[in-house]
Amino acid sequence: MSTTAKQALVLAVGGLVILLFILRLARRRLLTTRYALGWLGVGLLIAMAAALMPFVGRLGRLANMTPTAVLLTISSVLLLAITVQLSISVSQLQERLRTTAEAHALLARRLEELEQRDH
Amino acid sequence: MTTEPAGTRGVDTGEVLVVVPAYNERACIAAVVTEVLAAGHDCLVVDDGSTDDTAALARAAGARVVCLPINLGVGGALRTGFRYAADHGYRTVVQVDADGQHPAAAIEALLHDLHRRNLDMVVGSRFLQPSDYPVSRSRRAAIALLARVIATAGDTRMTDPTSGLRAIRTPLLDALAHDFPHHYLGDTFEALLVATRRGYRIGEVPVVMRPRQGGQPSAGHYASFQAMVRACTVLLTGTSFDLPPRPADAQPGTPGPG
Repeated sequence: MSTTAKQALVLAVGGLVILLFILRLARRRLLTTRYALGWLGVGLLIAMAAALMPFVGRLGRLANMTPTAVLLTISSVLLLAITVQLSISVSQLQERLRTTAEAHALLARRLEELEQRDH
Repeated sequence: MTTEPAGTRGVDTGEVLVVVPAYNERACIAAVVTEVLAAGHDCLVVDDGSTDDTAALARAAGARVVCLPINLGVGGALRTGFRYAADHGYRTVVQVDADGQHPAAAIEALLHDLHRRNLDMVVGSRFLQPSDYPVSRSRRAAIALLARVIATAGDTRMTDPTSGLRAIRTPLLDALAHDFPHHYLGDTFEALLVATRRGYRIGEVPVVMRPRQGGQPSAGHYASFQAMVRACTVLLTGTSFDLPPRPADAQPGTPGPG
């Protein structure tokens, strides 16, 4: 078995494991649909990369890189994109949390004022 | 707490609300509230998720208290206070630190200048007149840099852009109640910068501040460093928020449209 074929096998198995893992997380409601879909896409992409190994090899020769290096490059760019996207999501959530906390505090105060007025 | 309906006080009377953001300030908060109430102003303490009994002490001293369920930082506490003021029809807010640095007499000085010089915001400055107020070298450097940045935005001359003692009135108050940034020192420095750029009139009055009366400061060298980084970021990438431009025919002290 050639190195490329072995790599393709690892990718196919890895992608499949990710797909199953994500589906399981989604079933247990640990992931919302939004993120589950994103990760399913990643899993699918990895599984599909197995079929695209010859193409990866050609790309490597073009850029003077081994197929392994090409795969690692693609995956690190992908991971970077995902982390940035998650940071953006967290920032948005933080802002919403702040706004909610403020509204909560003001409403609690308002309730207090109304109760005082009634007594 | 007064027995009158607090929700209707201040509506259309042009009264002043003193907003005190407080985070674990049990050592000083009661004295600050007492001093503000004695000066004849309404006092709102915004408890910024304190883990001690700051809120209870403030309430016992007679302040109205708004309790944030989590710690948001000074910016978040101030925005909450400004929203409260806007919702209750106050036209002027004075923000005062909870650590007892700002004497009540300073509040009157600020309000006096706000009206006499017809300004939108007045900042109490420690450095307009010589004083022995202790300031670390890193903080002084940060302040100088921030003042420089603000001077580039308009003809506002600031000697103390990080001062936590300010009087603000409508229409700037309403604008800040909605678009105020949360992050540390965004509340002071960046607000000044954007307000200047948008044509609001900002002035300073000299104020002699007392050293902290007790408790722990929330900002140290690291905060000064952060302020520097923020100033540089603003220079490089622009401000993180914007305000509506000052209405050309604005009469400070009257409610703006919306």
